[in-house]
Amino acid sequence: MINLNTQLELFKIIGKELKEKVECVVIGGSAMMFYNAKESTKDVDLVFTKKNDLNKVKEVLYNSGFGPRKEMIKIFRRYEVTENTPVMMVGKDTRFDLFLNEIICFRLSSTMLQRVREVHEFGNFIVKVVSPEDIILLKCATERAKDRVDAAELIKRFNINWEIILEESLNQTKLGKGIFPVFLYEFLLELKEDLKAEVPKEVLNKTMKIAEREMIKAMKKGKLVREK
Amino acid sequence: MDYQKLAKKLQGLQTISTISKILGIKKRTAINYVYELRKKDYVGTTYGKRGIRMYKISPVKRKIVGYPSLYEVINKNSKVGLVTSYEYRVHNSKLSIEETIVKAVETKSFRVILASLGLFSKVKNWSKLYRFAKKNNLGRKIGALYDVARTVIKVRKMDLRIRNRFLKNKVKEKYVIPNLKSKDFKNIEKLWRVYIPFRKADLWVYKE
Repeated sequence: MINLNTQLELFKIIGKELKEKVECVVIGGSAMMFYNAKESTKDVDLVFTKKNDLNKVKEVLYNSGFGPRKEMIKIFRRYEVTENTPVMMVGKDTRFDLFLNEIICFRLSSTMLQRVREVHEFGNFIVKVVSPEDIILLKCATERAKDRVDAAELIKRFNINWEIILEESLNQTKLGKGIFPVFLYEFLLELKEDLKAEVPKEVLNKTMKIAEREMIKAMKKGKLVREK
Repeated sequence: MDYQKLAKKLQGLQTISTISKILGIKKRTAINYVYELRKKDYVGTTYGKRGIRMYKISPVKRKIVGYPSLYEVINKNSKVGLVTSYEYRVHNSKLSIEETIVKAVETKSFRVILASLGLFSKVKNWSKLYRFAKKNNLGRKIGALYDVARTVIKVRKMDLRIRNRFLKNKVKEKYVIPNLKSKDFKNIEKLWRVYIPFRKADLWVYKE
């Protein structure tokens, strides 16, 4: 487990070692730590838009004592069917998950990049922090109970713009890897019922309608919601 | 009163008027609320035009990490302000005025470079500016922009030896901003052999 200070130190080391500017987006627990919504995290999730950048950071991590992990840890749904698994670099206390454009079944869309709330510069290493709305949406694609707690914490602390979440779930569906409003509806329902998160009723109803509509569309096209 | 809930309701950039409108309270009460929120670290203050106080309210008590970015340094030291949709922090070391000018030119953004011209009046260490400029191959561009800044704002005179060193820099890229040049400042362009992206009218903002 690492806290924000350790994470910043690690980013500084990466920034010092990199010879050219590299940009990436930080998601999940690491992003939450920047918002002071979480004390510590197990894994640092970074998303790159260029393969070259990912390789450079991978090399720096390798030289700093991180080693590649071969077997996958099942965090996201649909791990079995995805081709885009992250590069995992394991250190003593933490793990770096390096994604390229896609976070398993999610695509790092231009709208997500536009919503970035914070940018941190560590020499040549530029880290962008995704918005709380996008963190919630990304959490809905995972299967860990801890992620539900994190999402509930974000809802509690931030004035969440639910329209953004709904729009992005539709946008992700258009990008074509799954019917996200269905995942989102299940996820929000769990948050509301199990964790007593403040999810407005109208949002749930709207998500349910959108999910139904998208499912019908997918069935007509002959697509399944989840592949086995 | 639950101030975290209040901060959540008022999240974003607010003024006393907007707070009183949102909560349906008197301005005096809104001031008291801001006072309480500030005590609990939910509020940061910035100033808008005509010195209007703007309150940046966040429902999360933020740990401020790193140092101010080039945008904040420019906003603090230049007459032309910049607004970004995100918060930018620098972590390795605090940005000096000299470093900020070089970083601003590196962005190749019209507005950022225009705003950075105001920083030339705050430069104290010309050799430091030269060092940073040389490191990033921006020597001639910085020199030319210094001359442009001198036409509109009161700027301390650059050490002649440093100026000559700037002039000896090689021209690698003529455009300060890609494909942007103007018909004004031809004499500066000729001397420094780079294209100035501004017209005289762009610099009026410094004369207002």
